[in-house]
Amino acid sequence: MNIHTYEKAWLVAAMVLIVGFIATITYGAVGPGIAMIDDDAGSIDPNEISDHERFGETGVEHLGGNEYEVNVVAQAWSYSPSEIEVPAGSEVTFYVTSRDVTHSFTVVGTNVNTMVVPGQISEMTVQFDEPGEYGILCNEYCGEGHHTMEGLLTVVPEDEFDLTELSTDAPREVEAGNETTINATVSNGMQDGLETTATLEIGEQQYERDVTIDGEGSAELTFDVDTDALGEGEHDWTLTVDDHEESGTLSVVSGTDGGDTNE
Amino acid sequence: MEVTRMSSTASRTYLDQFPAEAKVIKAAFWSSFMALAIGGLLGLVQALHRTDVLRFIDPADYYTVLTAHGVLLAITFTIFFLVGIFTWAVTTSLDRGVVDIRFTWAWYIMMVVGTILVGVSILGGVVDAIPTYADVLFTFYAPLQAHPAFYVGLVLFVVGSWLAGADWFRTWWAWRKENPDERIPLPTFMALTTTLFWYLCTLGVALSILVFLLPWSLGIVDSVNPLLTRTLFWYFGHAVVYFWLMPAYMMWYIMLPKLSGGKLFSDPLARVVFVLFLLLSTPVGIHHQYLDPGIAEGYKFIAMTNTMFLLLPSLLTAFTVVASMEHGARQRGGTGYLGWLKALPWRDPVFTGMALAGLMFAAAGFSGMINAGMNINYLVHNSWWVVGHFHLTVGTAVALTFMAAAYWFIPQVTGKALWSRQLALGQVLLWFVGMTFMSNAMHRSGLFGMPRRTAEPQYQGFNFEPAVGTVGEINAQVALGAVLLTVALAMFLLNMVLTSFNDDSDSLPANTYAGTLSGPEDSPAVLDNLKLWTAIAVVLVIVGYTLPLASIVDSGGLFGPDISGFQLAIETDPALVLESVREVMP
Repeated sequence: MNIHTYEKAWLVAAMVLIVGFIATITYGAVGPGIAMIDDDAGSIDPNEISDHERFGETGVEHLGGNEYEVNVVAQAWSYSPSEIEVPAGSEVTFYVTSRDVTHSFTVVGTNVNTMVVPGQISEMTVQFDEPGEYGILCNEYCGEGHHTMEGLLTVVPEDEFDLTELSTDAPREVEAGNETTINATVSNGMQDGLETTATLEIGEQQYERDVTIDGEGSAELTFDVDTDALGEGEHDWTLTVDDHEESGTLSVVSGTDGGDTNE
Repeated sequence: MEVTRMSSTASRTYLDQFPAEAKVIKAAFWSSFMALAIGGLLGLVQALHRTDVLRFIDPADYYTVLTAHGVLLAITFTIFFLVGIFTWAVTTSLDRGVVDIRFTWAWYIMMVVGTILVGVSILGGVVDAIPTYADVLFTFYAPLQAHPAFYVGLVLFVVGSWLAGADWFRTWWAWRKENPDERIPLPTFMALTTTLFWYLCTLGVALSILVFLLPWSLGIVDSVNPLLTRTLFWYFGHAVVYFWLMPAYMMWYIMLPKLSGGKLFSDPLARVVFVLFLLLSTPVGIHHQYLDPGIAEGYKFIAMTNTMFLLLPSLLTAFTVVASMEHGARQRGGTGYLGWLKALPWRDPVFTGMALAGLMFAAAGFSGMINAGMNINYLVHNSWWVVGHFHLTVGTAVALTFMAAAYWFIPQVTGKALWSRQLALGQVLLWFVGMTFMSNAMHRSGLFGMPRRTAEPQYQGFNFEPAVGTVGEINAQVALGAVLLTVALAMFLLNMVLTSFNDDSDSLPANTYAGTLSGPEDSPAVLDNLKLWTAIAVVLVIVGYTLPLASIVDSGGLFGPDISGFQLAIETDPALVLESVREVMP
C-alpha cells in the first residue's frame, strides 16, 4: 500500500495523540483517583424505596472521623432532602436513587454529577475542602416540571457542623400554682460524643443543663417550671442547644379557667 | 480541471443518466428539507425561550418542541438526505441503475410513513385533538413512556432505511456479476461499509423497541429495565452520529477535491477510514453512559479506549481532505506555504460550505475529545457544552455540508440551474457565523454547569457563576446565533424552492466526482473484503457489550422490577399525587 511520507508522519502523530489521551485519563483514574460511577452500590426496587435500609430515612449520616454519607431520593421534581449540609474538609459519599424516571444529581460548578436511573443506586465519594453554597440541579429531562427540580448543598466550616436534633414536649396551658415540666430530647447523629449545654428561657426565668451524649445517642431533658413565679398570662419560651432552637408558648391560667392539659 | 470516471457521459447530468432514480432522490431530498425547515424553526423557538429573550409557549410545551426538534433534525433530516446521497453514489459510481425502482420507492414511502407517525404522535403533546403523548425527547429513555405510534413510527423509519441498504447491496451485487474482476468503486465502498455498521448498530434500538418498549407501551408487558433499554439505545446512539456523518465524509472525499480543482489524495486511505468506522462505530456507545450507575468502571474504560481510537479515522480524514484541497489549489496556480489557500474557489458556495463545515468539524473534534475523556466528562456531561458540541457536528459538519451539497445535487437531479449562487454563498457564510456565536456560548456555559434539555434554567436557590463573561451575554449570543441560523435556513429553502421553478438548463455540469492521485490499485484487495470487516466488527461488539449487558440483566432483570410507564405532565403528576397521599397518611 502506497502511503505518502507526510501522511505516514501524520498517522504516527495521530497515534501518539490518541495514546497520550488514554494515558492522561488513566493517570486521572490512578493518580488523583477520579473513580467513575459504577455498579458497586447495587440495584433497588423503586417501589420499595421507603423500606430500603438506606433510603427509608434520607439525609446526612456520620460514619466516623471526617467521613459522611448522604442518602438522596430523586423524584419528579424534587430531591429528598432538598437541602444538604456537610462540613468542610469532609469526605462525603452520596447514594442517590430515583422513585420514578431517570434524573441526574448534579452539584453545579463541581464534578459531582451522576445519572440517577430508576432501579439503580448511584454512589460517589467527594471531598469538600472549602465552605460555600452549591446549587443542585437535575440535568436529565424528567417531565414537564424538569426545570424546577433543584436543591442546595451547603458546605459549612467544620466547627459549625453537627448532626444534633432537638425536639420538645411541653404543655400549652397550665393552672397557676401547678408544677409543670418542659421536656426535651436531644439526639446526636455524630459518631463522637457531644458535650454541650441546653438552655431554657421562659419569661424572666432561665434554666441550664449540661448535656453529655454518646455518639449516635440521645438524652432526655426535663425542665421543671415554676408557674407561680411566672404568674398568669402567656409566656414565650425558647430552648437552645448550640445553634438549634425550639420555642413555644405556655399559658398560665387561673384555677377556674381550665385544667392542666398536656397538648 | 474536472476529473471524470465516466468518459462517455461526461456532459450529462444525473437526471440524464438515471431519470427514474433522480425522482426518488429528489423526493428524499425534499423530505429532508421539510424536516430541516420545521425542525430548524422549532430550534429558534427553543433558543429564544431558554434564553428568556422571547417566551410565547408554555414551559411544559418546550419539551414537545424539543422532542420534535431532536427527532426531525437528528433522524429525519439527516437520514433522508443520506439515502438520497447514497443512492446517487451507488448508481453513479457503478454506472448502473438500481435493480428494481419499485423497491426503491417502497423503502422511501415506508420511511415517510414512519416519519409521519412519529411526527403526529409528538404533535399530540401540543394539540389536544390528537390523543397521543410523546414528550420523551430524541432519546426516549424509559420509564418515560410514549404513545405506541411513536415507537411504531421509529421502527418503520429504521426498517425503511434497512431496505434502502438492501437496495444498494442488490445494485452492487448485480454490478459485480457484470464486472467480476473490478475493485468496488470508492463511493459505493463508502455507502456499503456505512450500511453495514448501520445494520449492526440498529439491532440494538430495534431490540429495545420491539422486545421491550413497544410491548410495554401497549400493556403487553408491565415493566421495563430502564438501564437495559437505555444501554441498548446508546448501542445505537453513537453509531447513528457516524451514520449521518458518513455522507458528509463522502462529500469531503469525493466532491471537495474535485471542487478544489484537483484529485483525492489517497483512495486506499479513504477505504481504511471507512473500514475503521465500520469496526469502531458501535462498541463505543457506553461513552454516553460514563456517569450511569450499574455499569462497571472497566467497561467504561474499554468504551473510552475504543472511542479514542475512533479519533484516528477522523484525524486521517483531516489530513487527506486538506492535502487534497492543497493539491487542487496548486493545480489552480496556488503557491506558498499558506498562499495556496487564496487559490481555492471561495466564490463557489458548494466548495465554501463544505470547507467551512470541515473547519467547524475540527473544532467539534476538540470538544469531542473532552467528552470522550472519561473523568473530565463529569464536568460537562449533560451540560449545554454537549449541545454546543453536537451543533458543530450534526448541526454544522453535517447540515452545512448537506446544504452546500444540495446546491450541486438539486440541479443534478432536477435538471434546473441553481436560482442564485450569491444567495447560496451568503447562506453558507451566515450559517457559519450564526453557529460560531451559538456553539461557543453553549460550550462555555456548560463549563459552569448550565444544563441541557431545560426549558427555563433559572433556579430559586442559586445562580450560575461563569468564570468569564456573564449568563446574559451567553444567552444573547445563543439567541443571536439562533436568529442568524434561522435566516440562513430561510435563504437556503428559498433558493431551493426558486430553483425548482427555474426552467430546465442545458449548461449544467456533468455528474462527476473526484479522481484520485493514488487509486485503488495501490491498496491491498483485502480492504474490499466486506465479510471480513463485518465479522471483526461483530466480534468487537460482542467483546464490548456482552458483559455489560449480562451484568445489567443480572442485576435489574430482563424486564426490571415492576417499573411502569410515566407521562409526567404538570397537571397530573403521579409522583406528586403519591407524595401528597403520603403526607395525608404517614
